[in-house]
Amino acid sequence: MMIRFTIDNIPVEAKKGETILEVARRYGIYIPTMCYISKTTPCASCRLCSVEVKDVDGFVLSCNTPPTEGIEVTTESARLHEERVNIMKLYDVNHPLECGVCDKSGECDLQNKTLEFDVDRQDFSAKDQFRPVKHWNLIDYDPALCILCEKCVHVCNEVIGDDAIEIMMGGYKSTIVPKNSETLDCTFCGECIAVCPVGALVSSGFKYRANAWELSRIPATCVHCSAACPLEYEVRHTGLNGDKAIFRVKNNFEYATLCGAGRFGYDFEVRESNGEDALTKAVDALTKADAIRFSSLITNEEALILQRLKEKTGVRLINEDARLFKVFEEAFSSASGKRFYTAELEDVKNSDAIIVLGTQIATDNPGVRYAMTVASKQNGAKISYFHPIEDDLLQNVVTQFVKMEAGTEEGVVALLAKELLAKTNAPEDIQSFFADLDEGYLEAESNVGEEEFKLMQRQFRRAKKKTLIAGADLFAHPRAKNIATMLGLIEKYSEYKVLLVPKEINTLGVSLICDLDEESKNDSFIVGYNARGDFTISSLHADADLFVPALNQQEGTFTSIDKRVVPTNVALEYEGVCLNDIVKAFGISKEYTVDFTDELVQRDESFEALSFDTLENFLSEVGEDVRGYKLKNRDVSVNFTLEDIEDLPEFNGTVVYHADPVLQFNAYTARTTELPKENFLRGSAQFATAAKIKDGDKVVVDLGDIRIERLFKIEEKLKGTVAINPTFDIELSPNRYRFEKSKIERVQS
Amino acid sequence: MSNTEMFKDRNISEDYFLLDIEDYPTTPWEKFKRVVKRSFKGELFVGLWVVLREMIKFDIHTIQYPEEKLPIGPRYRAVHEMKRLWESGTERCIGCGLCEKICISNCIRMETRYDENQRKEVGEYSINLGRCIFCGYCAEVCPELAITHGGEYENASEQREHFILYEDMLTPIDDVLNKKQREFQGFGAITPHEDERLKKTPLAY
Repeated sequence: MMIRFTIDNIPVEAKKGETILEVARRYGIYIPTMCYISKTTPCASCRLCSVEVKDVDGFVLSCNTPPTEGIEVTTESARLHEERVNIMKLYDVNHPLECGVCDKSGECDLQNKTLEFDVDRQDFSAKDQFRPVKHWNLIDYDPALCILCEKCVHVCNEVIGDDAIEIMMGGYKSTIVPKNSETLDCTFCGECIAVCPVGALVSSGFKYRANAWELSRIPATCVHCSAACPLEYEVRHTGLNGDKAIFRVKNNFEYATLCGAGRFGYDFEVRESNGEDALTKAVDALTKADAIRFSSLITNEEALILQRLKEKTGVRLINEDARLFKVFEEAFSSASGKRFYTAELEDVKNSDAIIVLGTQIATDNPGVRYAMTVASKQNGAKISYFHPIEDDLLQNVVTQFVKMEAGTEEGVVALLAKELLAKTNAPEDIQSFFADLDEGYLEAESNVGEEEFKLMQRQFRRAKKKTLIAGADLFAHPRAKNIATMLGLIEKYSEYKVLLVPKEINTLGVSLICDLDEESKNDSFIVGYNARGDFTISSLHADADLFVPALNQQEGTFTSIDKRVVPTNVALEYEGVCLNDIVKAFGISKEYTVDFTDELVQRDESFEALSFDTLENFLSEVGEDVRGYKLKNRDVSVNFTLEDIEDLPEFNGTVVYHADPVLQFNAYTARTTELPKENFLRGSAQFATAAKIKDGDKVVVDLGDIRIERLFKIEEKLKGTVAINPTFDIELSPNRYRFEKSKIERVQS
Repeated sequence: MSNTEMFKDRNISEDYFLLDIEDYPTTPWEKFKRVVKRSFKGELFVGLWVVLREMIKFDIHTIQYPEEKLPIGPRYRAVHEMKRLWESGTERCIGCGLCEKICISNCIRMETRYDENQRKEVGEYSINLGRCIFCGYCAEVCPELAITHGGEYENASEQREHFILYEDMLTPIDDVLNKKQREFQGFGAITPHEDERLKKTPLAY
C-alpha cells in the first residue's frame, strides 16, 4: 500500500511509516534540517524542516509527520523562508565568532545554514554568559558552541544504549550534561562527537590540531572486531616536515555507527623498519618452517597467499580462532542446510525478539550491541540474554537476564532448542531427541529452567522477527560441535534467524580461504604471521623479526559478520615489505597484494571473481551498505547426528572469564595512544572473598599451563564468583574455552 | 577581428614621433665604413666628459647601496611579517591554517595545538622563503591581518634553513609596545572607512 501525494507538485509515493522528509529525501527534494539524523527518531527541536500543506493552517514538521493520501506539500515559500531565516538568526545569537579556530569550521552545519539563509547580522540579543569548557576524558564539550539540537542525546540513547547524556533544561541556559553523574561515565564511543553539527562536542585528542580542509579522507574498514564498520581515516602531515599521520577517524554517522575503539584507536601503524637481512632471514625461516601460525587480523588476500604457500611448500597452517569457527560453522550448516548463518546486523536492528547466547556481546562486538539497542529502542524489541555474568552495559536494553552456570552452554542450548522447536515442523526423530532430554538434570546444572523459558516466551509473544545471536564462548567449548548442530536445527526449523559472531575482523574470511591444521607437538619450527612463532613476521608485535604493514597501511578485503566482503584502503604508506613481497621467493607473488582479490573464488564458491578496484566502499545516500559484495549463501546437504548430552561440566571456585574491557580488542588497540589500557582482573567483592584477595592486590592468575600477572580490581557492578580477565595485552590461544578454573595467588609487593 | 584593430594604432597622442634612424648597412664595405666612422668620431670622449663633469660638480644622484637605501613602497611585497595585537602584544595568528591552504607554492606549514589556556596555540610556523613566490595570497586570505608582507627585501643567505625563521618575521614585542609596528597597506589590508561600515550587535537585554 503506497500513499500517493505531491511535494512541490512532484508526484511521490510513501511507504507505510515513512515521514514527509524521508520521502522528500528519497526523491532528492531538498528540505533544510538542523537536528534531523536518519538513524534515530526525529529530535524535532530545530523546526527548520517545516513545510506547508494545502488546506492546513500553519506549518507542518516534515521530519515527524507521515503523509496522508493526496496532500499537496510545498517546501519553499516566502513565509517558510522567513520562518527559517528567523530560526537561523536565533541559532546565531551569541554564537562565538571563532570559526577561525573552531575544529568544525569547514564542515559545520551551522556555518553552512547561516550562509545558506544569508544571516549576516544579529538582530536579537541575549545576555552572554560564562560557560566553561567541560573536559570529559576523550570528549570535550563547549556549551557556548552548543545549539541544543539534541542529536547527541538521541544517538547515545537510541543507537548506542549508554544513555549517558541528557539536556539540562533551563531556557537559554540549557546545556548537555552527563546523566546522573558528575562527569561523563560511558563507553566513549564518540558517536556524540560525530553527530554534533557544530564544534561543541569534539575529540580532546584531535582538538585544535588540524582543520577539516587540510585532511585527506581515506575510506577504509575498521579492523578491531568482526562488525567491520565503515570508517574514514583522515590523514595529514605532522609538524613542519614530518611524516603523514592519521589525525582522526570519521564515519557516515547518518547511517553507520562506530565504537570508541574504531574512532579513537586509529594510530596502530607500524613505524619500525626492518634490518637489512630481515627479509632473507624471513624467507629462510619460511623455507624450513613446519607450520605457520597466524591470527585472523589479516586480509582475505593475505589468507589466500598463505594458502598458496601451503599448496606450494606443504607448510601447515595454524589458526585456532578460524579453525574452531570453521568446525562450528560446518556443524551448524550440516544441520541447517545452508552454507552460512542467515542473520545480519540489519536483521538484528529490525528484530523484535532477540536471544543472546555465549558472548559478552557489548565488548565482544559493539556493532551487534548497537544493532540490539536500535531494535530495543526503535522497535521495542525484547531481549533475553543468557550468560553467567550480567553485563552492566546491556542493562538498558536487556529485558530478561538469565544467569546460567559457566560451562553449561550445551545444556542451555539443548533446552532452548527444545523450547523453540516445539510446535514446529521439525521431524519426529529430532523432536523425540529433545523430548528425551534429562531436563531435571540439565536445569539443575545450568540453573536455567522452565520458568525462564516461560517468561521469555511470554515477552516474545507478539514478536514477528526473531534473531538468535551466538558468540565466541561456544566456538571453543569442548562440545562445540553438538551445540552448533542444535543451533543449526533452530535456524532450520524455528522462526529464529541465527547470527554467529566471529571473533576477529577476518575470522570468517580465513575460515573460508585456508585449509587449517590442528596445532601439533611435532611442529619444531613455527613461523608466526601476526602471531607469535619461532620466527615472528608481524605488525602486532614490537619485537617482531620482520615487520609487515599494519591493517591501516594495507589495501585488501575482509569478510565481515554480515558475510560481506568489504574493501579497505591504505591510510598510511609503508616503506618495508609485505607478505606479497616475502613470498616472491616462492614464486607465488603478484604485482600487488590486491591482485589476489579476484582469485578468492577459487577457494570458496561463495566469493565472487571481482577484482579489488571494482569494489565500492561507501554507504548510499539512503544508507544502504553497498561496500564490496555479499557472499552467496547456498544450500548444502543436511548430514548430522545429535549426540547425547552426558555430564555438564562444573566450574567451582575462582573462575575467570576471558573478555576484553570496553575499547580494547587486540594488540592494535593496545598500542594506540588515546585508548585506555586497563588490564585489571575485574571481579566482584564475592570473588575477592573467595580468592582471598583485596582491591588493588597484585595477583597471579594460574591457569595450569600459564600464569598471568594482573592487578585485581573490585567492580561493584559485577556479581558472582567469576572474574573477568582481559586478553588484549596477552596472546592467549583462541582454543581455550573462555571460562577457566584458576588459582589466584597474591604476589607480595 | 575588427575589435582588435584599435590596438594596432599606436599613435595615441599627437606628441609621438618616429625616430629618424638611418638604414642598416647591407654590404661588408658599408659595414666597414660605419666602424671606421664611429671609431674616429670621438663619441667616446663625449661620454667620458659627461662623467667627468658630474664628478667635478659633486652632485651625484646614485644611491650608495648598501650604505644607502631607498625607502620601499608601503604596498611592496617582500619578506612576510607576523604582526601582534596593538593592545596586548599577543600574536595575531590564530592558527586557522588558511594561509597554509591557499599557498600556491606550498611553502607555508604550521602546527597547532590546544594550550593550557584553552586556546589554539601555534606551535610551529614556517614559510620556506626559498620557495615563496611572494604572490601575497597568504596576506590576502588572513582573517586576522596577522601575516602581511613587509619591506625587507634583502634575503640572501648562505643556508637555505635561514629562509624559514618565524622569529625573524614576528614583530618584536618592544616595537608593538612602543607603537612602532606598521600596518601593511597593500594586498589584503583592510579597506579605508571600514569602521563606518561596521554594524553593532544589539545589546538591549
